[in-house]
Amino acid sequence: MSAPLTFLRRPPAPPPTGASAAPPTALAALPASGVAIAVSMVRPRTLERLCADTPARAAFWSTTLHDAALADWLAPLRPTRLHVGSEFCERLLPEPEQLARTLAEASAAGLEVGLLTPVASPEVLRALEPLFALLPAGAEVVVNDWGVALRLREFHPLLQPVAGRILCRMLKDPRLGNPQYAPPAAHGFASPWQQRLFARVGITRVEMDMPLFAGADSFAGVPLPLGVHLPFAFVAKGRMCRTAGLARPGPERFAPRPFCHHECLGLAARTERARDGTHDAWETLHVGNTMFCRHSAASLAVLAAAVAAGRVARLIVPGEAL
Amino acid sequence: MKIVAPIRQLDEIAALARAGADELYCGVTPREWAERFGGASANRRPGGNLPSLAALAEAVELAHHNGVQLSLVLNAQQYSVEQIEFALEIARGYTDMGGDAVIASDPGLILALAEAVPGLRIHVSSVATCRNADGARLYQELGARRLILPRDITLDEAAEIAAAVPDLEIEAFILNDGCVYEEGSCNTLHLPGALGGPICLDRYAYVHRHRDGRPLSPALAARLQENDAAYRRWLWYRFSCGFTTTAEGMPFGPCGLCAIPALGRGGIHALKIAGREGPPERKLASVRMVRQILDAHERGESPAAVMTRARDLRPSHEHCATGFMCYYPEVVGEAERARETARHSPPTSPAPTSD
Repeated sequence: MSAPLTFLRRPPAPPPTGASAAPPTALAALPASGVAIAVSMVRPRTLERLCADTPARAAFWSTTLHDAALADWLAPLRPTRLHVGSEFCERLLPEPEQLARTLAEASAAGLEVGLLTPVASPEVLRALEPLFALLPAGAEVVVNDWGVALRLREFHPLLQPVAGRILCRMLKDPRLGNPQYAPPAAHGFASPWQQRLFARVGITRVEMDMPLFAGADSFAGVPLPLGVHLPFAFVAKGRMCRTAGLARPGPERFAPRPFCHHECLGLAARTERARDGTHDAWETLHVGNTMFCRHSAASLAVLAAAVAAGRVARLIVPGEAL
Repeated sequence: MKIVAPIRQLDEIAALARAGADELYCGVTPREWAERFGGASANRRPGGNLPSLAALAEAVELAHHNGVQLSLVLNAQQYSVEQIEFALEIARGYTDMGGDAVIASDPGLILALAEAVPGLRIHVSSVATCRNADGARLYQELGARRLILPRDITLDEAAEIAAAVPDLEIEAFILNDGCVYEEGSCNTLHLPGALGGPICLDRYAYVHRHRDGRPLSPALAARLQENDAAYRRWLWYRFSCGFTTTAEGMPFGPCGLCAIPALGRGGIHALKIAGREGPPERKLASVRMVRQILDAHERGESPAAVMTRARDLRPSHEHCATGFMCYYPEVVGEAERARETARHSPPTSPAPTSD
């Protein structure tokens, strides 16, 4: 996307944001029903803490998300779903044995399992087949690639494709500090053509990140049950992975042909613009091939209100610290 | 294989056609679109478009007069309902002008175009980030006739897709303008330079850490520092070696010329030169470069000879050897060996002697 020239007018400095912002906007309490929590993990563990009592969950969320207010908000609602795999990297799909183990552990913990899938190369499509075969009928597969969606419709009709957040394209540039960009930041789910495409491949649920400058209308007009990711939105992802450059020297160090030792599972980076006079609206971080931004407390308050109003069916929260 | 080159103004058409382009592509931002939606929203390039539908009609006529086809780019990541309706009007008018194809990314727009303008050829933009045969089949079902592969794809993957969907033409990047993030998965603006420019070039400082909060060991910190330095070198190559050229005007930067034999073997139909917003001289030099190597391939030179010719073109052996300038770095080793063999082999035919 490219900038309209009106952006040359520098916006006023935004209010402080992120986990350290003070004081956070009050969050409407989570309703006891009508909304579910899904926890996403690349390598699931400590499921027992997620499924314990409210204080244990609050501690878990606080450690994982580094935001005590958000942890307290999420903790009363016991998660009912575990999403395993990766939306962002083809090298982070589980091995079949790992997925089988996760299915058993999640079942014991009373969690339904969904499989997260990335933009797919031919190799990824081949790797997905044995994983699909392990999933029980009715299990959800979060698709971020139309080819994966078509494959599910044709060869695995008992699995439920969910449109992932990469398929929900909208402006999420953390450097913008001006709400005049809110209109082009809207989701496109209301488009009749988009809806026909969803119907064509059997998509019955959709997911999205929080839009920039989220407002009361941000979650309106979605024709299917909606899941919203928090507290991070993905800004941009590559196939090339900066972190994977640690794994090999030479011409293909940052090449599309993926190779790594999963360094990103242990490493991340806080990123800050070294530019005088800028005042980015959102805190950013980099994990593997993806840049994320953290929602402001004000955006989370808007989301909480949308949940209370019944516009959001599911909250999707990372269960691994970024 | 066909050579596909960009234009932003009418006077580029004849020159690029003469230089060897088979197809051209352009964007257009009619004033009404700019007034309703902003100039940047039509096709992601506010500065690289024809200014009006009248200019577009003239471009179609000029292209056909010069024996080349002209495709129209409508490849924003996503359009609103109102924008799709407006885009359909543009596409209908473009069809009446005799336009050849529309390049689109938003699957909703592709579906709408296929339904509303049934005779129109649809090319799926690289912005769609389609890199598997099943995705290609879906776009074909929706009405697409060509798939432009994303930049970040390997030669094997490109060939596998081309073989699996033989009725769909496949176009692959060959020269200029790398992206860091996948175009279809980058939700940012190319800000004016003073405010940061593209986010991948913006001056972000990285503070590395363990995700579980442990401190980094000195050894790991040093490795990360070295990796960051290598990444910045790669970034310089990815962005056209600082947008430098040879003295003759041939651009450095992302390049797939050594891979032309492999792309040909892989069933690739068209080679895309990027850079709509670039200066005319850069486009002209780019077309000449690709034409020269493609002609060598098509007149039957061996892959090794074609690779050596590609390496000697600028020449840019030092840059080429890094692999950081390559769209398809998997051929770097093969190209290096071909050139070394050529250097140490006697000429295959005796040099002409004078009487």
